[in-house]
Amino acid sequence: MIDFSFTDEQEMFRKASREFAETRVAPFIPEMEKTGKVPPGLVQALADAEMLAITIPEEYGGLGLGYVARMIALEEISRISVATGMMLQVFALGIDPFVRFGSKEQKEFYLPKLARGERLATVAVTEPTGGSDPTGLRTTYFKNGTDYILTGRKCFITNAHIADTVTILAKDENDPKAFSAFIAEKGAEGFSATHEEHKVGMRGCNTGELSLEKCKVPATALLGQEGKGLRVSMSAIGDVGRGGMVGCAIGLQTACLEASVKFANERILYGKPISALQTIQNKLADMKIDLEAGRLLAYRAAALHDKGERSSNEFAVAKYFTTEAAQRAAKMAVDIHGGYGCMEEYAVSRFIRDAFVLGPSAGTSDIMKVIVARWVIG
Amino acid sequence: MNVIVCVKAVPDPKEICKIRIDPATKTLLRCDVPLVINPLDKNALEAALLLKEGRGASVTVISMGPPPAETIVKECMALGADRGILLSDRAFGGADAFATAYTLAGAIVKAGEYDLILCGMASSDGATEWVGPQIATFLGIPAVTMVRKFESQEGAAWRVLADWQNGYRRVEVRLPALLTITRDLNRPRALSFSGILKSRKKTIEQWGREFLDLPSEALGAKGSPTIVSEMSTVRNRRDVKMLRGTIEEKADQLVGLLAESGVL
Amino acid sequence: MSSFGPVWVIAEQSECAAEIVSLQLVGKARQLAEQLGVNCESVLLGSNLGGAVRDLLASGADRVYLADDPRLELYQPALYSEIICMLAEKWKPEIILMGSTFMGRELAPLVAARLRTGLAAHCTGLRLDRDNRLEQLIPAYGGLMSIVCPEKRPQMATVARGVFATPARDAQRKGEIVAVPVPEMGEPTVRTLEIVREPVSDGQLEDARVIVSGGAGAGSAEGWEAVRELCRELGAGLACTRPAVDAGWAPLESMIGQSGKMVSPEVYIGVGVSGEQQHMVGVVGAKLMIAVNNDPKSPVFEQVDLGVAEDCREFLPVLASKIRAYRESRKACV
Repeated sequence: MIDFSFTDEQEMFRKASREFAETRVAPFIPEMEKTGKVPPGLVQALADAEMLAITIPEEYGGLGLGYVARMIALEEISRISVATGMMLQVFALGIDPFVRFGSKEQKEFYLPKLARGERLATVAVTEPTGGSDPTGLRTTYFKNGTDYILTGRKCFITNAHIADTVTILAKDENDPKAFSAFIAEKGAEGFSATHEEHKVGMRGCNTGELSLEKCKVPATALLGQEGKGLRVSMSAIGDVGRGGMVGCAIGLQTACLEASVKFANERILYGKPISALQTIQNKLADMKIDLEAGRLLAYRAAALHDKGERSSNEFAVAKYFTTEAAQRAAKMAVDIHGGYGCMEEYAVSRFIRDAFVLGPSAGTSDIMKVIVARWVIG
Repeated sequence: MNVIVCVKAVPDPKEICKIRIDPATKTLLRCDVPLVINPLDKNALEAALLLKEGRGASVTVISMGPPPAETIVKECMALGADRGILLSDRAFGGADAFATAYTLAGAIVKAGEYDLILCGMASSDGATEWVGPQIATFLGIPAVTMVRKFESQEGAAWRVLADWQNGYRRVEVRLPALLTITRDLNRPRALSFSGILKSRKKTIEQWGREFLDLPSEALGAKGSPTIVSEMSTVRNRRDVKMLRGTIEEKADQLVGLLAESGVL
Repeated sequence: MSSFGPVWVIAEQSECAAEIVSLQLVGKARQLAEQLGVNCESVLLGSNLGGAVRDLLASGADRVYLADDPRLELYQPALYSEIICMLAEKWKPEIILMGSTFMGRELAPLVAARLRTGLAAHCTGLRLDRDNRLEQLIPAYGGLMSIVCPEKRPQMATVARGVFATPARDAQRKGEIVAVPVPEMGEPTVRTLEIVREPVSDGQLEDARVIVSGGAGAGSAEGWEAVRELCRELGAGLACTRPAVDAGWAPLESMIGQSGKMVSPEVYIGVGVSGEQQHMVGVVGAKLMIAVNNDPKSPVFEQVDLGVAEDCREFLPVLASKIRAYRESRKACV
């Protein structure tokens, strides 16, 4: 028997996340929209609410929870602020390599600090010449005594300017097929965050470039085995990254539907609320159907992952469907709002800008289709 | 120190406007409004949790309600209560404030020794404020209602400030006592993931009439002195004149009417 | 001789006169007593009560049970409930009414529990049904509930100030005064030490000629500023509904309704108010009622005289500037 219901505990996670999002995250939105910067108070609030600790094992100061719990938190936070959902989801992306591939020493040193938010993490794979296809990467390393020297440039890195600890994927200068993952610390020699992007949406979530100019890291900075770095970073992106985007997307779908229903019930045309018009009802029904389908895909993939089964293909399906659906929902929400939809004081104008950023993050829809096609062809 | 907090599951006040009286059947249409902890009971629980943190008090939550009310007791445990008791039995159904207070008082006696009983000042749905002071009467202990501040919590006699016309009342009360709490007393804490996880091992005790060993004629609808004799959907109707025109025109008309009535 | 007991009002004194709500309840009790063919009586506890006793008699009480004693100067829960229960057990009143004052809200449930009887909260109407039972009306969920207490006596209810009209005084009216001794009780477990007045920042809403009341429709703290602005322009009292209190825009003291204040201004302007019964019962006495709400179907428009179907966030600034313009033009004429 398949049980599609959430447990009481999961319902409480949702309640806690919703309360957090509505009371602690929402007040930061105007500032984020205006400045495009990450409010320090918001990061602190995320840490205080233990949002950074969700997927970290209990023995390292985390909550030891799985992807369903994380999905719930991301959905509820993104329902209020997709930018905050994105920021949070990438912190988890930065944490995952330590959980899965870190040595005992690395785990003991990093994870408790990451759980408390004393350190913030991200992963840097993407470069101007490639991301989803890592063979296009140009960042290299070579061994110098016991140290490694890294050189290259990473772009479109979420949390680039606020992360203290970045997992960098680089290839062996002498063996283009050997990739390794390294921990680079903020302030390390030759390592800096450079250009800061101004995105069309998700304003207040930081994205930027990282520069590695003969950046020297010690041998202890190697994550996992040398030459096996592709697994370290790609598994993080495959499950954590895609799964996270799914959480952001269903949160945004919900926000679009709620705003549309509210507006359609209040806006009067021909003496009736516009929700009485079939054409509006058609849109609302479409949004609801997309949301129901998206949530099923999202939580099924998360539940598979929590059972210890392979879930990256299921996450690819969910990522494709929900981010596309969020874009459709945002478009319909703006349409329902008419002229108001173009005004910045209405949240739907933010939703449509945020929706566009969901697409390319953690792999475009076209890349998702490539993955899904590979899955079916075998 | 043992503190008992009485909590009530109420329909979410944010969605309360969805609940309507069915004009045909004269019954309530609940429309799936979710149950939440009565807002002022959260202040009462917070006061208890501060006593737990400050002086190691043990906090017991007691709620009377239908089986779905278990979720709100669970939530209280996740917020930090040590023990949760749900009073659920068909025999308790249809209780007014008097019968509710009688049942809760019976459960409190059964729950063991206590030093302090805290209740929210009122419930957001029933809007009586009677259950707290009536529990105190049944238990034969003093009550102070509408407490906004603890001035001194030392010794057996506490000093508290309670709301009063245009000010407050300074009251000395000897423990064990029952206090009803206003929203001014504190800011209730938020539900946290780790709190939810810590409450995993806590179980909720479910008590029915037999366990409480109270006479069924004193409980529920049978034990309630008051009954709802009728529900009507009557409103205080007036014949409205809607102003027409553009927003500017409407404002002009309204200014004219206000001037006419001598307000300006 | 009627088979019913008398109708009682537990009265209160403030500043050497009876509380207005106590007099309003005596007015109502008088009506009920006449219908039942019984006495209208009042119980008054406190110290230095001469003025208040005269008020109660002049307002319609046939008899006043009077406990005038320095020990009763401040409301003392144990002593007050002991005296009232003792009297009630002796004289068996049919009905006991109390004001929904801070005292009434604590004392009434204590007394009702001891007398093992029912108590209706914050009623907005009282009447006798066909069987001469007291029907106690309470607004609930967009309608009215009638509560009765079929078997237990006395039937008890609390009522807020402003629900019933203040009766005309008849200074010639005579009545009986029954002195009540203060019982000796041991050391009380709860004691009122003092009652402290705090400076009230705003004028009393109950006395305002014009009241602007804001609700959830204000939308945000900025939206609330527009409500406040209109209030300043009109020199009106600023009131609110429950959602505005919950949102943190307005203090609880400014809430109008069943569990808040009862007002009867000349003009009431509800902005962003949905017409929820719990709020509207607090203003039924207003002479002219106006509502601004963006939903033309809002139930609020069934309960007012003038309706403006506009979003208050857009309408209020326009209205405020028109009022300013009107005032300017008047000044120019003078």
